[in-house]
Amino acid sequence: MTTLESISEGLGSNQSWVEKGGVHWLEPGAMTVRELAQTMNALKARFITITAYQLPKQEGFRLEYHWDLDGQLLGFPFQLAGNSIDSIYDLCEAVDWIEREIHEGFAIDFLGRDYEPLLLRQGDQLGVNLREEVKK
Amino acid sequence: MSYKIPMGPFHPALEEPYKLDLICEGETVSDAKLHIGFNFRGIEHLAETRNYIQVIALMERVCGICSNIHTLTLCQAMEGLTNLTPPPRARYIRVVVAELERLHSHVLWAGIAAKLMGFKTMFMTCFELREKVMDVLQAISGNRVNYSMNRIGGVNRDIEDPLAVLRMVEALEAEMARTVIPIFTTSTTARSRCASIGVLTHEKAISCGVVGPVARASGVPQDLRHDAPYAAYDEMEFNSPVEPDGDVRARLMVRALEIMESCRILRQALTKMPPGELHTGDAKFNFVTGTATSRVEAPRGEVMYSVSWREGSRNPARVHVRTPTFVNMPAIRWMVLGARLADTPLIQASIDPCYSCTDR
Repeated sequence: MTTLESISEGLGSNQSWVEKGGVHWLEPGAMTVRELAQTMNALKARFITITAYQLPKQEGFRLEYHWDLDGQLLGFPFQLAGNSIDSIYDLCEAVDWIEREIHEGFAIDFLGRDYEPLLLRQGDQLGVNLREEVKK
Repeated sequence: MSYKIPMGPFHPALEEPYKLDLICEGETVSDAKLHIGFNFRGIEHLAETRNYIQVIALMERVCGICSNIHTLTLCQAMEGLTNLTPPPRARYIRVVVAELERLHSHVLWAGIAAKLMGFKTMFMTCFELREKVMDVLQAISGNRVNYSMNRIGGVNRDIEDPLAVLRMVEALEAEMARTVIPIFTTSTTARSRCASIGVLTHEKAISCGVVGPVARASGVPQDLRHDAPYAAYDEMEFNSPVEPDGDVRARLMVRALEIMESCRILRQALTKMPPGELHTGDAKFNFVTGTATSRVEAPRGEVMYSVSWREGSRNPARVHVRTPTFVNMPAIRWMVLGARLADTPLIQASIDPCYSCTDR
């Protein structure tokens, strides 16, 4: 069993890894983002970033969580129907600024954490930079 | 008695606009808060309004020092979306420019660090060397800052006489080996000013997810040129220096040793550069709908680009940039805990912060 297969088994996922665009992707299925963070911590994977996308036609958002495992870039896409998702800040210190930046850029709430003052000094309005409804 | 000392956003000890709020007990720092975003430019939003040619020129402006790295990472991601593979000569040229840029960045940082140490002669020496590195980059690209070398599927310009560039690099290497390296690695001034201050422990470095020389100076052996090679790095022999102490001196040592390793890579790339095409051609690109990601080891650490394309569009739907300072900077809070107030400018400078990248 490869490392990637053992990860998907450990996460209880019946999905297969797909290598595309330089990333090994795994659809999270029923797994929560907090379960994912705990698994990545146990594997000593290095958190890299979260990339947020606003989906067309008011379909919500997609957040792609990226970790590095021994030089392999792993990606886990989470679809958000609403505007919120659990924070993993208490499990992974490295997400602090990117959660804050996405909160400010897309007006997405990461539940279970406090925010310090804005990272982005201008605008003074959530979503002012990247959220379609606001930036227009 | 506890009191707060604000440093910045505009301050002689800071090269760029950001703010440190230092909570002090006497002369000792007991906590710190960092604030960025004073010059936020909204480049990710702007990128959505530029076509696939314009977006390369735009992203070159994310950083004034590692401008080439941004276009390299972006082009590699877009090559993933167009299923293009750059020709071998282009991959070698990308290595040469990337390593010259690393030399430029490290020598510039060494000058600033020397200035903050109170070592003005060293500052002048480093900046003289930096000019010479920029001369080499100008000889290759015609430009001293934004080199415009990368394009989707290859590079824009050839290195017509690699051996002439090699002679310039060898002269630079000899001068660095004579001046910068011995002073930074053996001088009593550098040691007494930098040893045991601004310590980032191995555990904290992993927890904060720091990258590049900051990680390697805390004993984390992480370097994408080895771990996930791109361009022609899989054909180069080099070491990634790692130091265990996590203090300012360790970060100094790592960068000093990396300067010599960069010269070693440059010698190999310029000597072994294969003949052939510079790019895959001028035909229109067929972008695959979806997302592609690329990572590169910039002078300050890992840069990652995620690029998303919608069917039939000339513009990217999204360009997300994760820069190294964005992850290294929060670690300053842990580096300054327990430090003397007078050491904080040098400690924050030791991560080689780039706020141009952070406020992209």
